[in-house]
Amino acid sequence: MICMDIDNGMLRAHLDGEMAASELEQMNQHLTSCADCRARFEKLSAETERTANLLTTLAPNGGDTTNPASAYAQFSSQFRNYDQPLARWFNRLFAPGWRPAWGVAATIVVIAIFSGINPMRTWAQRALAMLRVQKIAVVSIDPSTLMGSAEPGSRPYKLMNQFIADSVLVTMDPGKPDVVPTAAKASQLAGYPIRTIGSLGAPQSVEVSGETAFQMTINRDRIETLLEEVGRSDINIPESANGALIAVHIPKIVISMYGDCPVRHGDGISNTQSHAEALAERKMERMATMKSTNCTYFIQAPSPTVSVPPDLNMSEIAEAALELAGMSSAEARSFCQTVDWSSTLVVPIPHNTSAYEKVTVDAVEGTLITEALPQGNHYSLLWIKNGVIHSLAGHGNSSDALALAASLQ
Amino acid sequence: MTLRQISSEHWGEVDFRAVFLQHYARIVAILARLLGDRSHAEEVANDALWRLYRYPALQFDGNVGGWLYRTATNLGIDALRAAGRRRQHEATARWLAEKSAATGPLDDLLREERCRRVRAVLASIKPTQAQLLVLRTSGLSYKELADALDVKMSGVGTMLNRAEEEFRNRYLALYPNEEEL
Repeated sequence: MICMDIDNGMLRAHLDGEMAASELEQMNQHLTSCADCRARFEKLSAETERTANLLTTLAPNGGDTTNPASAYAQFSSQFRNYDQPLARWFNRLFAPGWRPAWGVAATIVVIAIFSGINPMRTWAQRALAMLRVQKIAVVSIDPSTLMGSAEPGSRPYKLMNQFIADSVLVTMDPGKPDVVPTAAKASQLAGYPIRTIGSLGAPQSVEVSGETAFQMTINRDRIETLLEEVGRSDINIPESANGALIAVHIPKIVISMYGDCPVRHGDGISNTQSHAEALAERKMERMATMKSTNCTYFIQAPSPTVSVPPDLNMSEIAEAALELAGMSSAEARSFCQTVDWSSTLVVPIPHNTSAYEKVTVDAVEGTLITEALPQGNHYSLLWIKNGVIHSLAGHGNSSDALALAASLQ
Repeated sequence: MTLRQISSEHWGEVDFRAVFLQHYARIVAILARLLGDRSHAEEVANDALWRLYRYPALQFDGNVGGWLYRTATNLGIDALRAAGRRRQHEATARWLAEKSAATGPLDDLLREERCRRVRAVLASIKPTQAQLLVLRTSGLSYKELADALDVKMSGVGTMLNRAEEEFRNRYLALYPNEEEL
């Protein structure tokens, strides 16, 4: 062994007692005879010791109380109750403990999503702008940061609950969705033509959700207190937003289910103030519980309408919402600069598991989001045609999604 | 011959139980070092094991332990980063308050502050480097580290040196007055 053969990685392995037996003797011989390598080894050893001193402070000082058997008993009781694959990021995101947190974020995101300013169109005396979704943009977020904040019973949690109760007023309650046998019935009920996926035959069931409307007054002080409580006082809410009244109206939504889709369970809405959020949750839950077999969802919804005061800077609010959802402030800023908030539906996707691409579907531009999951790939295809947002979601690859969309009737 | 029903959605209970019992305590111990909070560590460990449960293909891959350590420490570092933003100012405020009250032994306070700093530095360096340092300090061998991080065993020494150098540099940058480095 000569000096050139010995890099610091090998010296390190020697120091850690991880050197192969065949090399160990040669290394020892060399270190005895070579002062340079010995000096390198000693320097490395001293540096490693200093770092180790710091890192070992993390060692627990109490006894190890972990009991794997009882931990397993607890763990398995959870997954036995869990007969559907719900291990998706949004499952946790929509877990009961997180609803209020998500409620705020969702409200802001929904507002950011559907709104913007169009000063040319004024409405009544309040000079509100009415906006409609015309295109879709995808934004990649880090879902873990949203999940990382409050726990039920904690002060931020209670503050958020209170905040939603005080600020959001539901003016139109969708109630339970109507289940109808055919697309024709759904068209009648929804008031706009409902399309079907020809190649999948008749839908297993069709649901029509009632109209939803809510309004919210932005109280900047309270939002800032809330952000401070969750440790995000770095997020800035524009001063111009204070006192702004934002009204959201979501028309009737039609969801057609094809194939072997899980049966809906009780609606489980516990908080009458958060129906919009509960709706989103139900939709997410349905998508999450989709069996890997052959369940496909086709959702049609006319653009929601959002009314905001004309002087409200939606781009700044959207920036704050995206930061809260896990984007860095630089990312959020540069993304917001590329979006026309007056007409764009922004879809947040988790950055670590999902990808998206622009595709042509139904003779318009659409967005295809694919998610690689342990149980197989999952897609969501989104597009807007004649003012109606279409969303096709199921298991499979991008080609499966496009083939289904090609058979639209 | 035994026929076992293989689900495409999750592990079989017998196999999963064995894996759980084999790795659980060690994973919780690693995460407790990283997060400094046992119940939080158990929560993150459950999350990692839950992901494993939903990933039945791994039963036939042979590197379950490596996957589990990698996933658990990834989740742990994510949690550390998220918690860092939230707790940093609280922890400092609490530490200052406790320090001025001088109710507890000074050593404990210093140790607590040192842990906080080490965690802040781990949260700020590259996740793979933080993973490597935490796993090695928790007693994983080079072979186990290579499996967990999906790298060659011969490269582990060099990676450890680099990770420690980065850790020291970042530590000094954040806490220049600390004498121990």
